[in-house]
Amino acid sequence: MNNPFNLASFRLIFIYTLLLSVSFGLVLTFLYFTSARDIQIEADQKIINKVEEINRVYLRGREKGLFNYVRGQISRPTLNIYRLYNGSNEFLAGNIPEPTDLKINEDGWVEFTFKMNINGVEETYYGRGRNIVTPFENLRLLVGRVVNNEIKLKDRFFYSSLWSLLLIIFLGIFGGYILSRNFLKRISDINKTSKNIMDGNLSERLPTTKGKDELNQLSSNLNEMLDKLDSLMTSMREVTDNVAHDLRTPLNRIRSNLEVTLMSNPDIEQYKKSIDEAILETDNLIKTFNSILSISRVESGTSDLETKSINLENLILDLIDLYEPIADAKNIKLTSEIEKEIFFDGNMNLLSQAIANLLENAINYGSSSSKPFITLGAKKNKESISLWVSDNGEGIRDSDKKKVLNRFVRLDSSRSLKGSGLGLNLVNSAVKFHNGSLKLLDAKPSGLIVLIEIPVS
Amino acid sequence: MHILLIEDDNDAASYLIKGLKESGHVIDRASDGEEGLFMALDSNFDILIVDRMLPKLDGLSLIKKVREDQNDTPILILSALGEVDERVKGLKHGADDYLAKPFSFSELLARLEALNRRNLPDSSSNLLEVGDLKLDLLSRRVEREGEEIDLQPREFKLLEFLMRRPNQVVTRTMLLEGVWEYHFDPQTNVIDVHISRLRSKIDKPFKGKQMLFTERGAGYALRHNE
Repeated sequence: MNNPFNLASFRLIFIYTLLLSVSFGLVLTFLYFTSARDIQIEADQKIINKVEEINRVYLRGREKGLFNYVRGQISRPTLNIYRLYNGSNEFLAGNIPEPTDLKINEDGWVEFTFKMNINGVEETYYGRGRNIVTPFENLRLLVGRVVNNEIKLKDRFFYSSLWSLLLIIFLGIFGGYILSRNFLKRISDINKTSKNIMDGNLSERLPTTKGKDELNQLSSNLNEMLDKLDSLMTSMREVTDNVAHDLRTPLNRIRSNLEVTLMSNPDIEQYKKSIDEAILETDNLIKTFNSILSISRVESGTSDLETKSINLENLILDLIDLYEPIADAKNIKLTSEIEKEIFFDGNMNLLSQAIANLLENAINYGSSSSKPFITLGAKKNKESISLWVSDNGEGIRDSDKKKVLNRFVRLDSSRSLKGSGLGLNLVNSAVKFHNGSLKLLDAKPSGLIVLIEIPVS
Repeated sequence: MHILLIEDDNDAASYLIKGLKESGHVIDRASDGEEGLFMALDSNFDILIVDRMLPKLDGLSLIKKVREDQNDTPILILSALGEVDERVKGLKHGADDYLAKPFSFSELLARLEALNRRNLPDSSSNLLEVGDLKLDLLSRRVEREGEEIDLQPREFKLLEFLMRRPNQVVTRTMLLEGVWEYHFDPQTNVIDVHISRLRSKIDKPFKGKQMLFTERGAGYALRHNE
């Protein structure tokens, strides 16, 4: 797995490099041959012009004219080559020594090399030209040009093309190797971490970087998935723990109560009393049990709770209608500050129950002042809805605020008031279901404000 | 009442049969969906009690088949699936009421009673009368002994609910569902306070003739002696 040549990405880069090199090579070859031909044609044309000029000179002045012409031409420095000699190869006039490696092509062009000493340095020159033979005197004249520059140009073009081609191949393969090794390392990191997680290291998370590429997205998605699973598992474990701890106690109470009644040789009235108590306890147990179930259902996010447009004002007014008499009976002033026309999508029953729980909490625990009041408020912000229940009771200490959202947490240690300790927990789940946030704030001068904010689109 | 109980669990069935017989009802029992459907369509029952999870034919399908046969016997579903959406599903399939397990027996009795009365031909009159208590749905007037009683809208609705079920026990859950349309259990005794408010208006001023009674361990009932 650690060999990058096995990696799809590397193979892809390799094939790509190969294709690129081949096509680049073809283009360069084409360019090389066409430009080389153009250079040669241009040089040849100059020689052909010279040959024609010489033909005219010969027709006018014959041998002497030719002689004078060559002399005249070579009296100044030139890239043109002239070498006049007779049938027995005796040098008559010209600007180069006898050429070596003389090669006559099929199309009449002559290619040759010669050595010359200029400024004390002997150098090899390359020439190309044509041989002219006079019809009567049997004189020969080699006319041509020094083509060193053209050859150099062609060579330079050839080698630079070759090098750039090699560079492309090298960069492609080497770069591909580096890139895929990097890629491979990230994948093997992901593999290693997932193996760790599978081995039971559930809190570990896949490595992510700042980038936004597919691999990173994959990692973050998997991480989110793991977080979600983790919280599901945690809440499930909590439920199990809670059931174990908090349902056992009342069950034990029921059992002992019934057992003791049996032991004490009771009369029919005592039986009735005992059974009544047991029924009351089981009813409470059932309520608690139902609450746990619905909280878990909401929190698991798997519930298919329907959402529809809710008129928040109506929802709150209905709840106030339900709770106003009991608040009144306890001398609590229940008021509302609700903006009209607040609509949003949510689950009616869940939200009603959540607000009902908050109201019940406020009525039961927030009415310690001499003039207790509870305010239910709602208003629409730009992108959210605020919903609050405030009282002027004792409030909750900062250190307890986080705790009270958990299951089965009850702050009054005496537990003088009945309750399951699930109220705020359900509120929290309901708020989470609506993607909202829940804050516990201090009221002035005393009391608690439970503020719920639900985002709306 | 002649009741058909379709329930596969023998223990649950025997306890239900015992309780319902004690309460003066006649019970037949089917222990699976197919038998239940056959019996329901074969003879005339006042009420069907259907468990949702049944062998051979599940409760919801059974109810659908009963309704497809133009049989409109009131049906009460008993189910361990107690969530609101499950309840809605049950009612959509043609059931008339839905009770989640575990339930209190008094709740079951009250609901059976309510279902049975619903089956009686109901006068579509706008005037409800229980004893000397009169409630006019159109003018929204309530009077007792000819004396007008001033009620809040919700008190009116609560009284209407009770007057439609005279001499019947209604439970707190039934009131919460029927009058407020809430499907959750409040931890406080909200309903009791509403009832005592209503009582202070329809009973207290008329000494000696109490109509709104608290039924211990069950709920409330609006009663008058014929």
